[in-house]
Parts: sequence; structure tokens; C-alpha cells
Amino acid sequence: MTPTVELLAVRKSYGGYAAVDGISFSIPPAHIFGLLGPNGAGKTSTIRMMIGITSPDSGAVRLFGEPLHRRVLHRVGYLPEERGLYRRMTVAANLVFLGQLAGLSVATAKERIASWTSRLGISDWVDRRVEELSKGMQQKIQFIAAQLHDPDLVVMDEPFAGLDPVNTMQLKDVLVGLRAAGKSILFSTHRMDQVEKLCDSICLINRGKAVLQGSLSEVKNGNGRRFVQIDYEGDGACLAGNPLIDSLNDYGNHAEIRLKPGADSQELLHAAMRTVRVIRFQVMDPSLEQIFIERIQNRDE
Amino acid sequence: MSEFSFYKVWIIAKREYLERVKTRSFILATFATPVLMGVFLLLPALIGASTARNIMRESERARVVIASDNRALAELAVGELTRQRGTHYDSSVVSPTSPDQRAQLDRQLDAGEIEGYVWLDASALASRHVVFRTSHVGDFVVLRRLGDALSYAFAAQRMVKQGSSAGDVAATLEPVDLKAVRAGKSSSAYNEVRGAVVVFVMVFVMFFSLLSYGVMVMRSVMEEKSSRITEVLMCAASAQELMTGKILGTGSVGLTQIAIWFAMAAFGTHRSLYLQTALKVLDVGPSLIVYFVVFYILGYLLYSAIFAGIGAIFNTIDEAQQWNFVVILPLIAASAMILPVATSSDSATAVVASLFPFCSPILMFERLAVHDPPLWQLILSFVLLIGTICLVMFISGRIYRTGVLMYGKRPTLRELSRWLRYA
Repeated sequence: MTPTVELLAVRKSYGGYAAVDGISFSIPPAHIFGLLGPNGAGKTSTIRMMIGITSPDSGAVRLFGEPLHRRVLHRVGYLPEERGLYRRMTVAANLVFLGQLAGLSVATAKERIASWTSRLGISDWVDRRVEELSKGMQQKIQFIAAQLHDPDLVVMDEPFAGLDPVNTMQLKDVLVGLRAAGKSILFSTHRMDQVEKLCDSICLINRGKAVLQGSLSEVKNGNGRRFVQIDYEGDGACLAGNPLIDSLNDYGNHAEIRLKPGADSQELLHAAMRTVRVIRFQVMDPSLEQIFIERIQNRDE
Repeated sequence: MSEFSFYKVWIIAKREYLERVKTRSFILATFATPVLMGVFLLLPALIGASTARNIMRESERARVVIASDNRALAELAVGELTRQRGTHYDSSVVSPTSPDQRAQLDRQLDAGEIEGYVWLDASALASRHVVFRTSHVGDFVVLRRLGDALSYAFAAQRMVKQGSSAGDVAATLEPVDLKAVRAGKSSSAYNEVRGAVVVFVMVFVMFFSLLSYGVMVMRSVMEEKSSRITEVLMCAASAQELMTGKILGTGSVGLTQIAIWFAMAAFGTHRSLYLQTALKVLDVGPSLIVYFVVFYILGYLLYSAIFAGIGAIFNTIDEAQQWNFVVILPLIAASAMILPVATSSDSATAVVASLFPFCSPILMFERLAVHDPPLWQLILSFVLLIGTICLVMFISGRIYRTGVLMYGKRPTLRELSRWLRYA
């Protein structure tokens, strides 16, 4: 199947500084993709090249199997990091204008605006001026603006920033619904909890380079299951000297352990069983946040 | 991404136009400016010219009394005064003069029953130093007409004494009818004063309109840039489409305003005799209006393209200020040339200044209005202007495309030149 998005060794520098330095990834249809990274990592620069706002210095961007072209962009919906709406115009006027630019007739645009605003629970606000709306509300309007032309790819820069938990849930539900309808979604964020619940695959970038990418399970497996929790009875002192252990938090009958790279958790279990009575032994999935912090810190050191 | 969609330009221009026309400031400027301009133009006329006053209140006649020991002379003067075209004096004669008479006239003057009186006692008759006592000292029209009438009376009386018949007197003293006719135009009479006023009004409207709508384009670009609307729009439309739409939309607002002003002027002169007399806008003829619109459009395209580029470079109005000044400089130079060009429109300076594309929308138009310049100069100014517009549009378009997506620090000249070279 043709990937919806393909980035091939994309590079972009501004005034000698490489904002994006050779990033490649691809996103299949009906897929939610998370673009992660700390502030200033190059997320927004990457996104801008994907939707033709800027063009890469080298490398290539392909959407729907075609080189980036205005014709292809009709199938893309974009939600910028900051709200881009005319503050003095009403919500409806803003959306109709953007819908028309995206190639819709006024009637179709109004129809879709009505259905989306009722779906997101903001029908009462369509005749208000944008400046009267709260930030979260404006964000919803912006989201609708990106959906009006029913794009096959939705690109969102920090879509969850500034949303309260209720609206965050609502947006997640909508995104899952879009994926079920076969749409591809890419969003950038620096909040890992959202990614873990939502994304099929991720790309973690730092200083313009991809430091980690793949499907969520690949990423987690690749980063080893190095965290172990043991509930035990007996003298846990012997654990302290074990060469497999990198770090240890011993609470007396509960210990949280990080293994050394390459160490086998089964060996630790055997060692533990020889000295204490093991009640519970659990190998923990590393949280994405831990991986994220570890990767970024390693690079920075 | 090179296909240029006129439909998108139309959508963008339409939004720009409708949003601007709906603003309170546009409505205020459109309807208050002519009123203010009218007041400023007509105020001196209101204060000074009794013609205007008389046309306004035709039922009221200014009462002027001529008191003289020489009754025949006084009657000749009054006769001449009433004979003058366009005057409405209810003049009367008091003769012979006496101190009592004078005291009574002073009382009438105080009470506002009369406009003023001329006191022609023996010494005044001999020396011809005449005093007109009036409550409206600044009323130069009355003063000039009275003077004319008295001179006529003195001359006529002398001729009669020398034996001329009444017919001879009238024929001899018949005033010369002097009119200025514009060179190069058909034989229609041309009123220099009115003409000049109208030309100045049009030239200033051109100046302020070019400036304010150019700046409007700049502000609009900055607004969209800082609110990140440009990013959203750039997904759906190209930078060229955006810039073109913005310039056309805002320019149409300016044209609308000017059309409303022309309509108001036409309506005003049609309806009000007063306005018609004071400001005959349509005296300028349709060809000048066409030239005005053409030069306005060309001048606007030139300046709005520059301002769009500036708007794309900077993030705030403050940052743009000093560059603005550089752009406005030729406009200011042009406005300083307005008077010299009006008085000697074929001087070398006037010719050069009116060919300079950044000034030509104002100065070549002015030269066309006051005196027909040679055709080759007109054509040359069009060629230069249109060539400059193409060049500026090209440069601004490139700067716009990169600039509207650049935030933060303002670019150096080197960076700007790199933006220009981006394909």
C-alpha cells in the first residue's frame, strides 16, 4: 500500500543552523503517527516541509505517493501550533472562507461546519467573533477548519496544547474515529502520555535528527525491558551486590530495580529465589517518557 | 506549485474587501472626509464672500446706503451697483449729508438694519478718499464692487459734464469681460481658481489614498503573519495568490471610497447651487477623472506591492517604521512638488519629477490636469511606471513568500537578498 507520507532524508537549515537534519519516516494509511521531541527539536520545521509551506534544502517529501504538489495538498488538513483565525470575523465566516479556499462550495462548507460544530459541542458559538472565544474553543474551530475538506491526511502541530482534560478526551475520540475511517494523522507533541495511548508509531527527534523511531511496541522492546519490581520476604541485602543491577530502590519487602544494559531479568529472578522468598516478580514496560528522557539526555551528554 | 488560481485570488480579495468596507473607520473616513474637506474649502468663502451668503439667503438683501452731497453721483453709483451681475444690494441714497444723518446711519448700522454706508462729503468728493463704514470689514467682495461702482459714477458724471450722452457713457464705461481659457483645450471657458482648487483636491486625495491604502496592505500582511493565519492560508493558496488577493481586495476598498467621493461631489454640485458655485468638481471633465482612476490604480499597485513586502519582513508596525519612511519619501517629495508643478508645469524639474515612477501617479496626473504635457512624456511615464510596478511586484512577491513565514528576529539585508534568490 502506498504510504500516505514519505520523508526521505529531509534537510532544512536556517541561516547555517540545521533545523531538520536528515529525517526520514513514512506513515501508512489509517495510522496515527506521533512526532516527538523537546522544544526546538525541529518538529514544526519538519511539519512545514510536509505540507509545502517551506521546501527542503535537500531530500524529498512525498504525499500519497506523489512528489509534493499543490494538487496533493488538497488532501491535507493542517492545524498550526498557534491559532490562525481572523479575530474580528465570526466563526462561521472564518470557516466558510477557509472552506472556500480549500475548494468547497459555500453550501457544502456550511453543511460541514454545522455537523462538525454540533459534534464538538460548539454550535452555539458559530455566530460569535473569534476574539470572544476561549483558547480551547478557538482550537476546536481551528481543528474544524482543518477537517472541512475531508482530508485524507491530517497534520497537527501540538493539537493538545491548551486543552482541558475533557476536550483532550474529545479530541482523542475524534482522532480515533478518523483513523477508523482510513485517515492518516500526524501530530507533534512533547507530552508522552498522549502518545502512548494514541499513536501507532512515533518518531522522536532532537536537534533536527531522528533519535528513535518505529511502531510503539518496537520502540519499547528495542529499549529493553530493564525495569523490574520484586515483592519478597526475607533479607534483601544480597540484591544490593548483584552485578546485574544498575540501580536499586529497596523498601524492605519491595524493591524497584533497573538492570544493566544487556542483563537478563531471568538471571535476576534465579538469583533472588536463592536468597529470598519471591512473592511477585514483574518486568515493567518502560514508559515512553523514560525512554524519551533517557535518549535526549544521552545525546546531550 | 506554480498554477495560479484566479478563483482563490477572488476569494481572498473578496474577504479582504468585505471585512474592510464593514469597518467603522472606513465608513467614517468615507463620509466625514468630504464634509471636512468641504468645510475647510468653503469656510473662507463663507466668511469672506457675500456672494456666497447672498446665494444662501436670497431673500435677504444687503442694505448699503450711499450718503453724498452730490445726489446725481450717488444715484449713478447705486444704479451701477444694482446693475452688476449676481449682486443683491438694496441700496439707497441719502442726500445731502448732515451730522444728524450720519448719527442716524451709525445707529442703523449698530442695529444691523444696514450692512454699511459710504460717506461722501465735500472733502471725500474732492480727494476721492472714500470711507465705507461697515460691520463686515473683511467683506472684500462688497468693497470691490462698491469701489467699482463709485469709480464708474465719478467717471460717468465727468463725461456727462463734458457733454457725452447717456448711451456714450454706458458704451465707454462698459467693463471688459475677461476670462482665462485653458491652453490646448477646446474653447470652453475655464475658471482658473475653481480649476486649481479641484486639481489640488484630487492631487491630495491621490496622495493620502495611496499612502493610507498602501499602509493598510502592510498592516494586513503583518496581522495575518503575527496571528499565523498565513500558515493556514499557505496550505490552501500560494503566496502569489495571497499577495495578489490582498492587494486587489484592499485596492478595491480604496477605489470604492474614491467612487463614493466622486458621486458625493457630483450629487452635491447637482443639488446645491451653493456647492456648485464654490466647487465645480465636474468642471474638470470626464477625461481627467479617467486619468485620475488610471494613475490611482497604477500608483496603488506600486506602493501596495512595496508595503506588502515590508509587511512580510517585519513583525510589528514599530519595526517597520523606519523603512516606511524610506518608502514614503518619494510621496512626500511629490507632495512638495505639487505647487511648483502647478505654476510651471513644463519646467525641466516638473518634467523629470513627473516621469519618476514613484512620483508620477501624483505629478503626471497634476500636469495633465493643469496643462497638457506632450504625449511622449505621458507615454514614457506610463512605460516607466508599469515597468517599475512589474519589477517591484517580482521582488516583493519573493520577499513575501519567505517573509510571511519567518518570525522572531528581523532579517539582515544579506538574508533578504537570499530570500530573493530562492527559486
